[in-house]
Amino acid sequence: MKKGRRAHWLFAGLVLAALLADAASAGAETLLRARLNADIRSTDPGTNRDANTDGVIAHVVEGLVAFRDDTSVGPMLADSWTVSDDGRTYTFKLRQGVKFHNGAVMSASDVVWSLERWLDPATQWRCLSEFGPSGIARIEKIVAVDPQTVTVTLDQPTALFLPTLARPDCGQTAILHRESVGADGKWIAPIGTGPFKLGEWKRGQYVDVIKFDAYSSRSEPRTGLTGAKTAAVDRVRFNVIPDSAAAKAGLLSGALDVIMSLSIPDMDDLKTRPDVQVSATPSLSMTGLLFQTRDPLLQDARIRRAIALALDMPQIVDVVMEGTAKANNSALPIGSPFHGSVQEQGYQQDLTEAKTLLKAAGYRGQPIKLITNKRYSFVFDAAVLVQEMARAAGINIELEVLDWAAQLDRYNRGDYQAMTFIYSARLDPSLSFEMLTGPKATQPRKVWDNAEAQAMLRQSMLTSDPAKRQALFDEMHRRFIADVPMIVLFNGSELTALRKAVKGYAGWLFPQARFWGVSLQP
Amino acid sequence: MIGYLLRRLVTTIPTLLIVAIAVFLLVRLIPGDPVQVMLGDAADPAQAALLKQQLGLDRPVPIQFLYWLERLAHGDLGHSITNGLPVLPLILERFQVSAVIVLIAVAIAACIAVPAGLIAAWRQNSAVDLIIVGSATLLLSIPSFWLGLLLLLLFGLKLKWLPVVGYVPFSESFAGAALFMVLPVVTLAMIEVGVLTRMARAASIEVLRLEYVTHARAKGVPEWRVLARHVLPNAFAPTWTLIGLVLGHLLGGIAVIETVFTLPGLGRLLVDSIFARDYPVVQGCLLFTALIYVVVNLIVDLCYPLFDPRVAAA
Repeated sequence: MKKGRRAHWLFAGLVLAALLADAASAGAETLLRARLNADIRSTDPGTNRDANTDGVIAHVVEGLVAFRDDTSVGPMLADSWTVSDDGRTYTFKLRQGVKFHNGAVMSASDVVWSLERWLDPATQWRCLSEFGPSGIARIEKIVAVDPQTVTVTLDQPTALFLPTLARPDCGQTAILHRESVGADGKWIAPIGTGPFKLGEWKRGQYVDVIKFDAYSSRSEPRTGLTGAKTAAVDRVRFNVIPDSAAAKAGLLSGALDVIMSLSIPDMDDLKTRPDVQVSATPSLSMTGLLFQTRDPLLQDARIRRAIALALDMPQIVDVVMEGTAKANNSALPIGSPFHGSVQEQGYQQDLTEAKTLLKAAGYRGQPIKLITNKRYSFVFDAAVLVQEMARAAGINIELEVLDWAAQLDRYNRGDYQAMTFIYSARLDPSLSFEMLTGPKATQPRKVWDNAEAQAMLRQSMLTSDPAKRQALFDEMHRRFIADVPMIVLFNGSELTALRKAVKGYAGWLFPQARFWGVSLQP
Repeated sequence: MIGYLLRRLVTTIPTLLIVAIAVFLLVRLIPGDPVQVMLGDAADPAQAALLKQQLGLDRPVPIQFLYWLERLAHGDLGHSITNGLPVLPLILERFQVSAVIVLIAVAIAACIAVPAGLIAAWRQNSAVDLIIVGSATLLLSIPSFWLGLLLLLLFGLKLKWLPVVGYVPFSESFAGAALFMVLPVVTLAMIEVGVLTRMARAASIEVLRLEYVTHARAKGVPEWRVLARHVLPNAFAPTWTLIGLVLGHLLGGIAVIETVFTLPGLGRLLVDSIFARDYPVVQGCLLFTALIYVVVNLIVDLCYPLFDPRVAAA
C-alpha cells in the first residue's frame, strides 16, 4: 500500500513538474502550435523542398513579387515595377526601410546578389531550368541602378516572368542576406525579410519560427503571400506528426492549435466538437483520371470519351469530397480568374451514348488497369467510384493500388493505361496547361500530346494581354474536352481544423497555411 | 571465452556483408526513385537528370554499390538524399529514442511475464492459470497501434494525465521525458508481456515435470524455494533467448509505436525514408538493424552460462 502511494506521489510530481515547466514557458510568450504531416526537407528555399518546406519557409522569406488571393501577381519587396516596351526589361523599385532578420537594410545590391545566386547552377534552384534554354526566357542582365532600383533584362518577352518569380515552389525567388551562406558558398540558414525568423529546427520533431519585431509590413490587407503580414503571435511551432489520429488527439487535447491538410473523415468528426472550428477553402490542386493515349486500347478517343460519359461527376465529387468541392472538367481550376463559362462546359453522364461509342470502337470488355494510391484517400475513393460507374456502361476497369513514389515513377515514364492522380496547385493558367501538354516522345509524363495545343500554350506564355490569354485558354479547353486525354474530376479543398481560440486564420486557393495575422485568444 | 567471442564476431562479418548486398539491391528494386519524389508532378526531365547526377544516382548500380561499400569500409554510411545529413549520426540520434523505450518496456515486460508464467505453470489448469493465459493471449492479439491509440485517448484525451503529442529527450528534462515515455513504454510492454508470459509458462511446465523437482518436493523443500531455486533458473533460459530475439527485433525500430506517439525514433526514420526512397538512409537503417540483431543475440548467448551452467561446461 505504501509503495503504491509512493508511486502515486512520484507520478503526480512528474506531472506537476512538467505542467509547471510548460506553464512557465507559456506565460512568457504566445505560442501557436501547428501540425506538419512530415518534416521539412531543408531551410534553403526553392532547392531541397516540398510543400511542407515551402509552407514553413514562406513565413521567413519574401521575394520581389508574390501571388495575391486571386492568383494575380502583386508587389512584395518591390514597391512597383515597369516593363519596357519590348517586354524584355523589368525595372523594380524597392520598398524603403525593409530590414533583414540580422538588422541590415535591404538594398538593390542584395537583390542582385540573391538573383545571381539563384541563377548559379551550384545553388540547385528548382526553377533554374525556367530561365535556361528550354525555359520561359533567359535572364541576360541584372543591374542595380541605384540602391532602390533593380533592372532585370530577359532575352525575350514572357508573361510568366513575374509568376515564376512568385512561385512558392521556387521559394518565391527569395531576397536573402548574403550571410545566409558561408564564405564557401554553402547554405547556413535563411536570413530573410519575412514576418518570422527561423527558430530551432529539431529534425523529426518540430521547426519553430519566431516573430521578427523589426518587420516592415505592407499596408494593403493580407492577400495571398503579400499584403500586410504582421506576426500576431510570438512563435509558431510546426510539430511533425505523421499520424493523423495522433494529430487529431493532439488538437482535441489542446496540445495543438491547428491541423492543416485534414482528411475528409477527420473533418466530419472535428466539426461537431464545440472547441474546434473547421476551415474549408477551395484550392487549385487538381484530381483527374489520366489516360495513356498511346495504349493500344485507349488510343481510341471513342473509348476515352465513353468512360467520360459513363461518369456522374457531381456524384463522384459529392461522395469523395463531402460537399467541400465542385466538379470541374477544365484544366483551369474553378478559382482561377480565367475559369469562365467556356470552362464550365464539360462532360454530362450519358450511358446510352457511352455504350454506342464503345460498340463503334469495337470494345469487348478488355480490362483497363487503373492505377491509384492510398496516400491521398480521395484519389483512391475517386478510382473506386470510376470503376463502379464505368461498369454500368460495360467498361471493365481493374484497380492497381501503388504507393505514391511507385505511382509517380509510372506517371513520369508514362507507363500506365489509366490512373487517378493529383496535380499540385499551379497559380498561373499557362502552367495549369503546361503540366498536361507536351510531346510524349521527350516528356512521357505529359498526358496531352497535341501540337496545336502546344503552340497555343506557347502563345499564352508570351502574351500578357488578359483578353488574348482568355481566348487561347478557351480554345485549348474546347480541344481538351474533345480529345479526352484525361478527365479532370475536381479541384481540391484545403481543410484546416483550428481550436476556437485561434483567430484571424484564412485559407486561400494555394494549399499553404499562413500564420501572419493569426492570433491566439485566451 | 575470448576465443569464442572473437569467433562469433568474425562470423558476423559475412552475415553483414550478405545483408549489405541484399539491402542495396532490394532497395533499388522498389519502383520509384528519390529524384521523382523530390520533384513531384513537375519533374522536368532535364532537371531530374541534373539532380540525379548531383546525387550520384546516374551511375550504374554496381558502381554505386562499390562506392557505397568503399565508404562503408571507412564507417561512412553516406548522406541522406532528403536532407543532406550524414546517415550514421542520424541513425544513432534516432536509435537513442527507440532504445530507451524498448529497453525499459522489455525490462518491465520481463519482470511481469516471468513470474506470471511461472505462477501459471505452477497452478496449471486452475483459475489463476486461466486468467494469466487468457490475459496473455488477449494482449498478444491486440494490434500495437490500436492499443496505443486507446491508451492515448484514455490517458491523453479523456483524463488528460499525459501529453498526447511531442517528445522531450531525457537530456533536456527528466520529468518531461518520463511523461512522454509512459504511454509508448506501457503500450510496448503490454504487447510483449503476452509473448513472454506464454514462453515462460511453457518452459516452467516442462521443468516442473522433471524428476529433480519432484525430488526436491519429496525432501520437504518449501514450495516457494522449489520454484525460485529449482524451477525458475532452469525455465528462464528459453525465455531469455526469446527476450534476446524480441530485443533485437524491437531495437530495429518500433515504427508503429513511434508513429502513434510521434516519437522521432529509428523505425519512423526507416519508414519515412522508404516512402521518400532515401536510399542511403534506408540502407543504413537496415544494416544497423542487422548489426543490432547480431550484437544483441551475441550478448544473449554470452549471458547463457549465467542461467545454465551446462552451456559454460560445453
